[in-house]
Amino acid sequence: MRCDDYRAGVLAGEDTAEMRAHVDGCSPCTSLTAALKTGHAQLADPSFWEEPSPELEQQVMRLVKPVSKSPPDATRRSPRRLVAAGLIGAAAGLLTFAVVTGLTGGSPDWTVAMSGTELAPAASGDIQGWTEQSGTRLHLDIEGLDPAPDGFVYELWMSDGAAIVSAGTFHDATAVELWAGVSRATFPNMAISLEPLDGDTTPSGQVVLRIVDG
Amino acid sequence: MHALPVMSQWERRERMDDKVTKRFTAGDPEALRELYQDFSRPVFTVAFRSLHDRGLAEEAVQQTFLQAWRAAGRFDADREIGPWLYTIARRVAVDLYRRERRHQVPDPIDRDIAVLPPSFEGAWAAWEVRTALEAMPEEEREVIRATYFAGLTHEEAADRLGIPIGTLKSRSHRAHRRLAGMLAHLEEATA
Repeated sequence: MRCDDYRAGVLAGEDTAEMRAHVDGCSPCTSLTAALKTGHAQLADPSFWEEPSPELEQQVMRLVKPVSKSPPDATRRSPRRLVAAGLIGAAAGLLTFAVVTGLTGGSPDWTVAMSGTELAPAASGDIQGWTEQSGTRLHLDIEGLDPAPDGFVYELWMSDGAAIVSAGTFHDATAVELWAGVSRATFPNMAISLEPLDGDTTPSGQVVLRIVDG
Repeated sequence: MHALPVMSQWERRERMDDKVTKRFTAGDPEALRELYQDFSRPVFTVAFRSLHDRGLAEEAVQQTFLQAWRAAGRFDADREIGPWLYTIARRVAVDLYRRERRHQVPDPIDRDIAVLPPSFEGAWAAWEVRTALEAMPEEEREVIRATYFAGLTHEEAADRLGIPIGTLKSRSHRAHRRLAGMLAHLEEATA
């Protein structure tokens, strides 16, 4: 038996006397057997053969097309710079939203449920998002959250796990409209925090609502 | 019997990858599409076997390619792009796992130090097998898929693929030999 045939047999999950005789006298095949058995186990696992849905490719390409006119950034920006960029984007977005609101509508592209943390256990609601060319339009509908106390505002944050971007501030959480300069596809994590009006643009860490998973 | 042209196939693929990688790092979205077509299945395999959820796995695929795109300008085009994509895919899967775990483990400290489940082990081997499959000739990949995924006997697979049983058996053996050759480098990883 040739080494090629032995290895093909192991990968196929076969175990014959001829194969055992071969491997007993073949050091290279002996050292490769464990890896090939792992390969067979992978092939035999039904989950190994699952595939993404065909339309996912277009979803990914739609998300990168708006930024494809210029090459991707060659330098990493700091989270703080991103926060500043997010604030600028939010301001620009609010202006844009004032123009386009009422002209765009329909079903949101996504909806996430939010639940209150220990800082606001009675709070709950959802955030709806519409993906636009220059960012994401957001509608918040939160119940059970008292208006922010004097000297404070609520702030919605979007994060990709490394960077965090502000999507704007509000005082009363009923039917709030905000704008973010990023998409939820790239910044999937969201949270609402209570922020003191002290000029510090970084998150306070006082999270009052988080995404409900599942 | 002649040895199968495994190396030439890999060399051809690497040459192709080299061109795609250079266009990708230059910001060509069509290069990203080509990389997606080559690597979306391996990325999905890593995510799905780790997270056991189709929706999360698709989210992981999306995030992996978007993160790769955003970081393309920083990628060294002389490096192999597959292992880099694998690194991103695994990190994205870990992040999604921890995000989903958030409400099961409310204490943020416990959440951050949570040990990953066994489903994350062996992700690299799964990636390697899946990328090797993607590089195989379509007719050989289909034979392997029919016999493993569909669980068909040789006779049933031959019937489904519309080829004689003798052709199927020889093609299956050739496919396994080729795939075994492509996975020979895993010896170092498992030794």
